[in-house]
Amino acid sequence: MPELTYREAVRDALSRAMREDDDVFLMGEDIAEMGGSMGVTQGMLDEFGAERVRNTPISEMAIVGTGIGAAMQGMRPVVEIMYQDFLTLSMEQLVNQAAKHRTMSGGQLKVPLTIRTQGGAGWSPGAQHAQQLESWFVHVPGLKVVFPSTPEDVRGLLWSAIYDDNPVIFFEHRLLYPLKGEVPAELAPIPFGKARIMREGTDVTVIAIGRMVPEALQAAEEAETLGISVEVLDPRTLLPLDEEAIIASVQKTNRCVTAHEAVTRGGFGAELTAVVQHGAFDYLDAPIERVGAKFAPLAFAPAMEQWAVPHAADVLEAVKRTVARA
Amino acid sequence: MATEVKLPRLGQGMESGTIVKWLKGEGDAVKKREPLYELDTDKVTQEVEAEADGVLLKILVDSGEVEVGKTIAVIGKPGENVAAEDVAAEDVAAEETASGNGAAPAPESEEATEAEDRPEEEGSPAEAMDGERERGRQAAAATAAAEPVAAAGDGGGRVKASPLARRLAREKGIQIAEVSGTGPEGRIVAEDVERFQSVAPAIAPAGRAAGEGEVEEIALTSTRKTIARRLTEAWQAPVFQLTVSADMTRALELRERLVGRLAEGETKPTVSDLLTKVSAAALVLHPAVNAHFTGESIRRFSVAHVGIAVATPSGLIVPVIRDAHRQTIQELAAARAELVGRARDGKLQRADLDDGTFTISNLGMYGIEQFVAVLNPPQAAILAAGATIETPVARGGEVVVRPLMSLTLTCDHRAIDGADGAEFLRSVKELLEEPALAL
Repeated sequence: MPELTYREAVRDALSRAMREDDDVFLMGEDIAEMGGSMGVTQGMLDEFGAERVRNTPISEMAIVGTGIGAAMQGMRPVVEIMYQDFLTLSMEQLVNQAAKHRTMSGGQLKVPLTIRTQGGAGWSPGAQHAQQLESWFVHVPGLKVVFPSTPEDVRGLLWSAIYDDNPVIFFEHRLLYPLKGEVPAELAPIPFGKARIMREGTDVTVIAIGRMVPEALQAAEEAETLGISVEVLDPRTLLPLDEEAIIASVQKTNRCVTAHEAVTRGGFGAELTAVVQHGAFDYLDAPIERVGAKFAPLAFAPAMEQWAVPHAADVLEAVKRTVARA
Repeated sequence: MATEVKLPRLGQGMESGTIVKWLKGEGDAVKKREPLYELDTDKVTQEVEAEADGVLLKILVDSGEVEVGKTIAVIGKPGENVAAEDVAAEDVAAEETASGNGAAPAPESEEATEAEDRPEEEGSPAEAMDGERERGRQAAAATAAAEPVAAAGDGGGRVKASPLARRLAREKGIQIAEVSGTGPEGRIVAEDVERFQSVAPAIAPAGRAAGEGEVEEIALTSTRKTIARRLTEAWQAPVFQLTVSADMTRALELRERLVGRLAEGETKPTVSDLLTKVSAAALVLHPAVNAHFTGESIRRFSVAHVGIAVATPSGLIVPVIRDAHRQTIQELAAARAELVGRARDGKLQRADLDDGTFTISNLGMYGIEQFVAVLNPPQAAILAAGATIETPVARGGEVVVRPLMSLTLTCDHRAIDGADGAEFLRSVKELLEEPALAL
């Protein structure tokens, strides 16, 4: 199987879709000549031309609004929001327009729009360029929310996002871009709502998303040396959520830890916790532990930034708490 | 200064006991050495005496199972304050495992009222309430410290257990309050229930299949639970059995003569007593069999304390005849009769059951020809005796009829090898066939 970086896998999905389908096109800030601030769309201007790889003004509201209009007219636009922090500037279009049209029109309109964005700490981007806001969008009926953690998943899920008839917020993580992984030679679309067991285990289930998936896998390795068998589950799509797989896993292991880079309070871990406690109540042998960032605007200072966001060690500590014996 | 009454450890290995009833009420005067309450341990039910003079100020655990060392009551001077902080803080666990609640005077403070009014049914998911509950408890304790004999001990009731532990307990018919928790803050976790399950027998499911007729459901007594736990443990030991038949002609003759010489009121010696005598003699000769297997070591004994399996209305019990090797058959018969009598009346003391080095189980009186007994840990061997039966045997080329008794020795192979067991059993056989050699 070929190996791609996470970044190349995103580009591969976009390029394949654009080669096959004239309805697919890109819009975003600096995505054409510059190839995007994270280099994801590098080289695509040359292959697909300025009509289909379109630079936009610095207005997220306009970018998303234009995307919605094009989508409702039958196109399958993929727009890029440079940092997910800037999604806040397009909230009206995302929450009140994109998410609502299909239902409010009684199904006469559909919005097959993909909003790609990225973020994450780890390179001192500061408080306004490093947030993880995925849980905000899980609260909005009418949207879909995807957050892949591997090259294979990001490619297969992006394909499904492009061909989904609903607006999809597609989260990528800055620190995952350079990570390599095997991908099938042929692009295999990955359906939404299907979790992936990244590692099987018997003592505790760690439900991790985004960058915390590789961190959880590392924690699982370390836990194994302590005789603790950790199962790592990546839901991959937060909305829809594969509750069945999550509940089945916790029913097997009897313990659960959630892990994301977003701040813990009000984070997606809270939703996961609610799902688990309800679906696996009689199977829980320990309180569910949540791992996330400390509740503060993220510091620029590297030491403080690293102190604030969670790492494998934090997952390991939480795992140990769930199996603790007094 | 008030004296806390703590649940005593009445014998080796005792971890908890069940308070059956109090023989004194709150406010009653008690004297040192006066019986205070009845305690059911895993071996016996006995009266426990007061260790101090004074007034029984407060009963903290009215009834139910309590761990050794927990404070169950307070004795002090009339009107003396109960040192409530200590009692309440230390003994939450004890209260929680107890099934009953002592009647408590009405609490004085609002906080206390709030805490006391909390629903206490088992299974209440109000985990989050615990912090608040604890504050309430402390407030109650503080009030109690200020007021004479206030509500210190009541409350409790809620058991801290994980949902999984509760479900397992429900499915296995285990009272969650009987399980002791080893999780964080004493929480009962699944492993605790499973461990409890492995030492306690499963209770018949509450449901009743249609068309099966009446089902009698018998709650397990402490004795029954102990039998189940110990025998389950014993079943896991790698054991082997050896069987011989002893010609009982001379032993029976000896018994006849002993019976003929009995003085007024003396106990008739039985075949069992003869067997005890020769076994004790053989044990001293073969210390390899007269041993305990502790897991860390093998302890071989030079004295033979022989346990006798006795069927009682509440189940099997094994009182011990101490120094059996030093006693005459007549003394052994008297000791046996006395112990069996008390065993059947439920009057055995803990000390009657401790320190056995070997056990004999005799089902001969039921006509059982031969059987295999289950080890009585930590003892490394147990002897099963069958009935003495007239049997045709070959002697010097002739078939003759002789009274034979079958003897089956069960050995814990971790402590005893086959040859050791065989030598012991050969000695028992020889001594039964020539009882004079045991003298």
